[in-house]
Amino acid sequence: MIRVAGLSVTYGAVRALRDVSFEAPTGQITTVIGANGAGKTTLLRSISGLARAEGSIRLDERELLGMATEDVARLGVAHVPEGRGVIAELTVEENLRLGTLASKVPLAESLASQYAQFPALERRRRNYAATLSGGERQMLAMARALIARPSVLLLDEPSLGLAPQVTAETMRTIAQLCASESLTVILVEQNAKSALRIAHDAVVLHLGQVAAAGPSREIAADPELRRYYLGVAS
Amino acid sequence: MSSLRQRFPSAWRLVATLLLLVLAVALSFVLSPLDDSKLAGGAAISIVILGLSWLIGWSGQVSLGNAGFMAIGAYVTAIWANHHATSPIVWSLVLSTVIGGLSGLVLALPATRLRGPYLAGMTLAFSFAVTPLALNWRGFTGGSGGLFINFLSTPAWFGGLFSGPDALIRANAQWPADVTLVVAAVAFYFMANLFHSRVGRAMRLVRDNEVAAELSGVNLQRARTLAFVISAAYAGLGGSVMTLLSGSVTPQTYGLTLSILLLTLMVLGGIGTLSGAILGGLIYSYSDNLVSLVNKVSGINPTSTLGANLKGIVFGVLLILTMMLAPRGLVGAGAWLRRAARR
Repeated sequence: MIRVAGLSVTYGAVRALRDVSFEAPTGQITTVIGANGAGKTTLLRSISGLARAEGSIRLDERELLGMATEDVARLGVAHVPEGRGVIAELTVEENLRLGTLASKVPLAESLASQYAQFPALERRRRNYAATLSGGERQMLAMARALIARPSVLLLDEPSLGLAPQVTAETMRTIAQLCASESLTVILVEQNAKSALRIAHDAVVLHLGQVAAAGPSREIAADPELRRYYLGVAS
Repeated sequence: MSSLRQRFPSAWRLVATLLLLVLAVALSFVLSPLDDSKLAGGAAISIVILGLSWLIGWSGQVSLGNAGFMAIGAYVTAIWANHHATSPIVWSLVLSTVIGGLSGLVLALPATRLRGPYLAGMTLAFSFAVTPLALNWRGFTGGSGGLFINFLSTPAWFGGLFSGPDALIRANAQWPADVTLVVAAVAFYFMANLFHSRVGRAMRLVRDNEVAAELSGVNLQRARTLAFVISAAYAGLGGSVMTLLSGSVTPQTYGLTLSILLLTLMVLGGIGTLSGAILGGLIYSYSDNLVSLVNKVSGINPTSTLGANLKGIVFGVLLILTMMLAPRGLVGAGAWLRRAARR
């Protein structure tokens, strides 16, 4: 479980996050939604140690705040950043191998488990990542994050640039992974409708503050939130 | 065949290295004594190019100071040989590699916090400092006259392999060449494994995407420092071999010009590849032949000012042509030609 309490982040004079608190339970998807500039990406960057923050972020009983990014990763927090971080000049398998840097699991075993999870990647294992479609790249980014067998998966805009059908497939995969691997998933999404459909809980950020939080079904049903974030007239 | 290669990659690389070594040693028996010494010089320089190629091609850091690390390795070997004349040369090689690596660590601690032109500037300053330091630290370095050591003595069993009136000349030219080839083979085998190891993969990620590297559990500072140390250790080893081959070390040999030459040879051969480093070494060996050819074709008087500087001009032109026509070096051009032929 990830517990965020009183989290604040400032970039110079700009306060990107103010006193943000929420919990992301184990084996569940918690989605973070909000408009551009709400602080969603900063929130994920704070958890993985890429952004300096104040407050508290606990993974079970361990305080993550103040830890170096690589140490947070070694504790089992996998972060798929916006843009996916896939190396286009490397093959699919070479990209996957990069994900095993912090893992103690033998390489062959790690690769086999990801190929079982994502059969499309095995078919394209020798192809350069540059030749993959947007959906395949997203699969590769997730597989690379999961290959080290993390307990927490942070996903930043996984549907970015994907066609609606591919987005739906990606969301289904995330839901399946969360259930089968008992992962704590924090899903940041612009596409709030898709995210709320698979998430158990939701946190709505507005200008760096928590505007609403609760079970995703309730958030999705709130007429005001529907109007602001889902583009649905009540 | 390819499945064997995938199942036993390290053993495969060992077999490939041994085969190449046997071929090169066999070639040294055919070559003239002059070509043997060129082969030895090329092999020694290829070790240094490989270290530089690792630093630039794999970790994405620039160094204009690797000639300085070579100087450290060269002096360590000369000083050690002057005090321990009977000790096996392997000690000189190991000591120069270790001290080269340690000096790399000292420079890496501040250098790896810098990027791009700032990093290049710092290593440039190091390169500038080496020659004056060696000139002034006479007690250790022998000042401008440098230090001299005995040439590698050819063992009797090796001399026995040759017959005829020039047997001694041939044996004495070939022994250092073969020793250098063995040292280069060990260095290349180690690097081939490093390229494909967890460290090599981490280095590639650091070069291509720092954020992804951190998110994969890589400590950026430690990875960059390690790259610097390994590169400096290779330069130290190369410098050591150069001293053993030439029997001397002088401060002027290891200035900024050599650092730039190393960079040029690396680009000409191909950055970040084993074969690129070998090609760079070969170009170094036969650059004088190339310059002579240009002299002959152009009719430039070798004793004129232009003739005396022709080597620099030839390298400059080659570098520009490579950057324009084959940005991945001769290795990249070779791969492109193979693909074109298949089409």
